[in-house]
Amino acid sequence: MGKVLDYLASETKGTCYKSHRYCFDRVDIPSVVYDDKQNIIFSRSKVGETDKGFTASKSLGELAKKINRQSKPLFKFFLDGSRRTYKVDDVAYNNRIYPIVAGQIGVGCCIRENPDSFKSFAFENYSALSLPECANKDNQPNELFFNSLTTKINDLPGLKKRNISLEKILPYEDRRLKDDEKYEQKGIAKIQDEMIESEKRLVARLARERKLNFDSYLIKDGSLQYQSSKGGDLKDLAAIKSNYRCVVGVSKSFNPELCLDQFNRSIAKKIADLKLFHRTPVFKYMTERSRGVEFSVWYLRIRGINRTVSPFDGVLKIEKILVTENEMEKGLDSDEIDLISANLINECFPTCYGSDNRWANHLYPVYLTETFIKSKYLSDVYFLNLF
Amino acid sequence: MSKIIGKVAATEKIPTTIDEFYFWTDKERILHPFDVVKVEHLNNSVTFGVIEEISHITDATSYLTSFISSDFGDVNLEANTHRVGMNFVKAKVVGNTENIYTPVLDGRRVGLANQAEVGTALGLDKIEHPLPCGYLEMYEGEDEIVLPVHFNSHFVLGPDGAHLNISGISGLAAKTSYAMFLLKAIQEKYINKIDIKPNESAAFVIFNVKGRDLLAIDESNKDLSKQDKQIYEMLGINSEPFENVQYYYPHFDDEHPNTYAQKEDVKYQIDQNKAFKYKYVYEYDRDSLELLFANIDDSTGTMDSIINYVLTDQGNFGNIRNWSDFLGEVDEYLKPGKGGEITVMSWRKFKRIVRKALTNPLFAKRISNEDNETRLRDSINHIRKNDIFVVDIARLDEDMQSFVFGDVIKAIYDLKLGQAGEQDDIPKKIIIFVDELNKYASSDVPKNSPILRQVRDITERGRSLGIILFSAEQFKSSIDDRVKGNCSTHAYGRTNAIEISKNDYRYIPQVYRGMMTRLKQGEYIVQNPVFTSPLNIKFPNPIYRQFPNG
Repeated sequence: MGKVLDYLASETKGTCYKSHRYCFDRVDIPSVVYDDKQNIIFSRSKVGETDKGFTASKSLGELAKKINRQSKPLFKFFLDGSRRTYKVDDVAYNNRIYPIVAGQIGVGCCIRENPDSFKSFAFENYSALSLPECANKDNQPNELFFNSLTTKINDLPGLKKRNISLEKILPYEDRRLKDDEKYEQKGIAKIQDEMIESEKRLVARLARERKLNFDSYLIKDGSLQYQSSKGGDLKDLAAIKSNYRCVVGVSKSFNPELCLDQFNRSIAKKIADLKLFHRTPVFKYMTERSRGVEFSVWYLRIRGINRTVSPFDGVLKIEKILVTENEMEKGLDSDEIDLISANLINECFPTCYGSDNRWANHLYPVYLTETFIKSKYLSDVYFLNLF
Repeated sequence: MSKIIGKVAATEKIPTTIDEFYFWTDKERILHPFDVVKVEHLNNSVTFGVIEEISHITDATSYLTSFISSDFGDVNLEANTHRVGMNFVKAKVVGNTENIYTPVLDGRRVGLANQAEVGTALGLDKIEHPLPCGYLEMYEGEDEIVLPVHFNSHFVLGPDGAHLNISGISGLAAKTSYAMFLLKAIQEKYINKIDIKPNESAAFVIFNVKGRDLLAIDESNKDLSKQDKQIYEMLGINSEPFENVQYYYPHFDDEHPNTYAQKEDVKYQIDQNKAFKYKYVYEYDRDSLELLFANIDDSTGTMDSIINYVLTDQGNFGNIRNWSDFLGEVDEYLKPGKGGEITVMSWRKFKRIVRKALTNPLFAKRISNEDNETRLRDSINHIRKNDIFVVDIARLDEDMQSFVFGDVIKAIYDLKLGQAGEQDDIPKKIIIFVDELNKYASSDVPKNSPILRQVRDITERGRSLGIILFSAEQFKSSIDDRVKGNCSTHAYGRTNAIEISKNDYRYIPQVYRGMMTRLKQGEYIVQNPVFTSPLNIKFPNPIYRQFPNG
């Protein structure tokens, strides 16, 4: 087809190269990708819960059983965001070559009313492009220029015929690259940020509609440590943290090097040695990414070490934003932490064993939400050929 | 679109085709094989499908996933979320309202059909010359629909196709009841001249092979429920018993009761002049002797030679007038040097076979019309339209049953071929019903059996002569290929797993075969050339008197 790219090149006065198109997510690069974020700044008091005397691990198996027998599950909503990014071409501006990055973004929230009813509650998916800022050759504001370009591209007959439109064109910085940087990563980061914005919007909607309360918590797949972004409708997490009163972030993977206790000693071994259904004490910290927001973090083992292949398999990293002043001062109520942990234990079966290698750390409702979102993507071949 | 129950799924590995499609549906939606579904298709047309298979799947990749998901084998685990699962259903395409047979498209909505649509889908709405053959029940609860099903009588009774075969295991299949249900519908159709040309007529010859099953078919079934009566009404059949019935009992004495009927009942029926006792008289019936050898393997043809010797009046056989003299004459041939080319050994074998039969009082010296005695052949020659002759052979031994059956078949054949003299009022069609066809036309019966020959003749040429065979047996696979191959209509009742593994069932979809092992009493899967698909039908309880103890 090529018409979108041809139009883009002519509209931005660049040159397209008809380069090889591929999906970044399909290129296997051996690396460890953690769900959580780096650069933790420890709070003065690193104990993040009201029970200050508790230093070792705590078993929640019995509480989980009791909850399973006596009451409804705490978690009713499950949220996940996902993006699939593609390199669709290279474009030349000012004798420099920049990649054109495209992405499909999907953010969904599922609701569980009873064990047999698992349905989509809210869902957003759209496509976006990421171009270097210098695609805007004049001094027109970026927002205006790229919005106008988006509208023009969406009017192209090729896209209209297929009833497909681009939601946004996101400019990435075209500053000189550092040694280990690539423009592709900047483009991908823009698409990632856009997905996070979409996640935040969804949480905000749930909060606005009063869907989240002390009987209906939300599990968000991955970390809650959102970066403060310049763009987006919900710029600062600090401003919207009240939306997260009943939201728990559950990370399947985490960097054990960053697990430190109040004396800055690594607790990686303690986590690895956690007994089944035990949790660590809660730590409190801030990140550079989300200044002004304090997080409480703890670890919980949901699978026996004899069932998994590595010591950190079967351990979840759980985050909760400290919302009230009381929480920030005294830490999260230990009873609430126990309740959340016990309910997470009750979510550990069934499993996605056989379908996902991360089964030991995956919670089935989250896995279903993720599968739902991914099922909505256009196929890679189809998407790549739209351009 | 009426009630939507799912959507079509066409995948890379399992695409939709001209013949079939798959759709997913809620795991708690109750559907059955044979249910009709409809799908929105191109040009606002609707494609109809009949459900063939229903499977339930989850996202578990293996049994191990399931085991692990239950906390590594904890049977008491109650999970917060049940594994996501759904039913996917295979449906066979049976029609499209605009005759568009390109495969149905992925994601198209699948719904339940209403009564009229089910009729259209199964080709029931355009059936000419309808003959009630049962009713369909489809869907569950508030969606349930019931509709009558009709054969095209021209495909059951000729001229376009003929003969019906019913198979199923004893008792559970209710084969006799189903055949009688159809015969009732046919008799009523002919008596009331519904969709019948003025010169058309039919009569019936029924063999009673079990207990007293069919020995009171002109008496009402007092236990017939209101519900059954309503079903008869829906099907347009009255719930009165059969009319114009005559019973033929084998002649009996105290030593040989020959029938399971109560003596008083027989006497009552004789007094009413609707029962007769049949006999065989040497002078007129010796031609039928060969029928006694129907199940005897005679590869060298010696028995045939002896029969020929007797029938051509060789030796002294031409002067004999009764069966005892006949046996006496046979004794003569046991003496050395009397039998000519036929060895004494062969005569001995011949005698052994005939003597056993001829000791039965059925073989008598003469007929007394005053005592309501008759020769079956004579009675058959006088069968008239709408008559039902019930020939009781239930208590006769197997060879004698074959003998009587063969004799009646031969008599009907001769009647229709004009061998019994030209008569104007011979019914156009004579419908014969016999259970346990395997006794007469099994694939194990010697190929030179005169009865097998006659049965084959009827199924192959009977349609043009107006002789229609309704037959039943436990195992269809044991029936001669030519006999069952010529039946246009097949009814499958409850059978067993061994039977459905036979070649005869190879072309029936696996799920339908499975269903055959689970059919309830009064439920049949029927195949008829006018139906677009096999149908799972039911029929009401019999309208005639039932004997609880057989």
